[in-house]
Amino acid sequence: MTSTQVQNILFSAIEMSNNIREDDKQIPVGETTELYGKDGHLDSMGLVAFLIDVEELFLDEEIQIALSDERAMSQKNSPFRSVATLSEYIEKLLNEKN
Amino acid sequence: MNTRSMLITGASRGLGKEIAEHYLQEGWSVYGCARSEKQIEHEKYVHFQLDISSPEEVSDLFYKLRKFTKQLDALINNAGIASMNAFALTPSATYEKIFATNVHGTFLFCQKALGLLKRAPAPSIINMTTVAVPLQLEGESIYAASKSAVETLTQIIAKEYGGFGIRCNAIGPSPIETNLIAGVPKDKIEKLVSYQSIKKMAKPSDVINLVDFFIKPESGMITGQIVYLGGISK
Repeated sequence: MTSTQVQNILFSAIEMSNNIREDDKQIPVGETTELYGKDGHLDSMGLVAFLIDVEELFLDEEIQIALSDERAMSQKNSPFRSVATLSEYIEKLLNEKN
Repeated sequence: MNTRSMLITGASRGLGKEIAEHYLQEGWSVYGCARSEKQIEHEKYVHFQLDISSPEEVSDLFYKLRKFTKQLDALINNAGIASMNAFALTPSATYEKIFATNVHGTFLFCQKALGLLKRAPAPSIINMTTVAVPLQLEGESIYAASKSAVETLTQIIAKEYGGFGIRCNAIGPSPIETNLIAGVPKDKIEKLVSYQSIKKMAKPSDVINLVDFFIKPESGMITGQIVYLGGISK
């Protein structure tokens, strides 16, 4: 799977989150979007919902990834801080599988 | 026609098989799993044979499950093992086996099912506990401790995922004629029944009635509840 394909899945998951968010709480769909942490758009349960959607979207593509991580809720070291860090993290997971 | 879907563990015998067969009769698609082979023949039943405490095997089940359904209306963590022994004489291996199935199995299924549950309109998880927890039964320390863990998981999952519309409750059956108590002496069962407000053995239909209550969409305000049969309470 290419970087663009990974990012497109993340964008779809952001759109799924936006479907249930207020108009003034919409998350920008883009690779520089901050997800979690100081400038992030998601609170901890928002992040959980988002990651569940990401895992589901990968499974729809018949790819199993597990985004459970000890550092998940760390504001500083979480791989889920932004679309960029999450994308990089997922690509690493996919490479480890292959 | 009802097209709701359910995943149930421990579906090859006893209470799990009864629950699976009931919902098949009600028109549900039922996905069952057990360590043993398929025991239910029905066009809307799919069986998975696995060890529910293995993260790899559980992940594989959920991967395969998506070929059949994209959402789950109910998850019933019915599989469980019990063992009676004095605390001082309980081997470590027994502790590990009981916690692996009862706690780790429930943890894995709840966690892996969240995505499919989240896609259903009124999703519900039901975990199985035991009256051995509130009664603090002697000889059941490890079994009861494992089910205490299941009760806590149930209540915290209910809190964490209530916002996703996922409800999570637990049922603590009083003694029922199933394989789980086949090895328990008759006088022990009679003593246990004597603790109940309703002093009789339960039937699988008593549990199914409670499952019905928990999973129906009208129970949308019911979550994080532990209900014991027979009038036992904490």
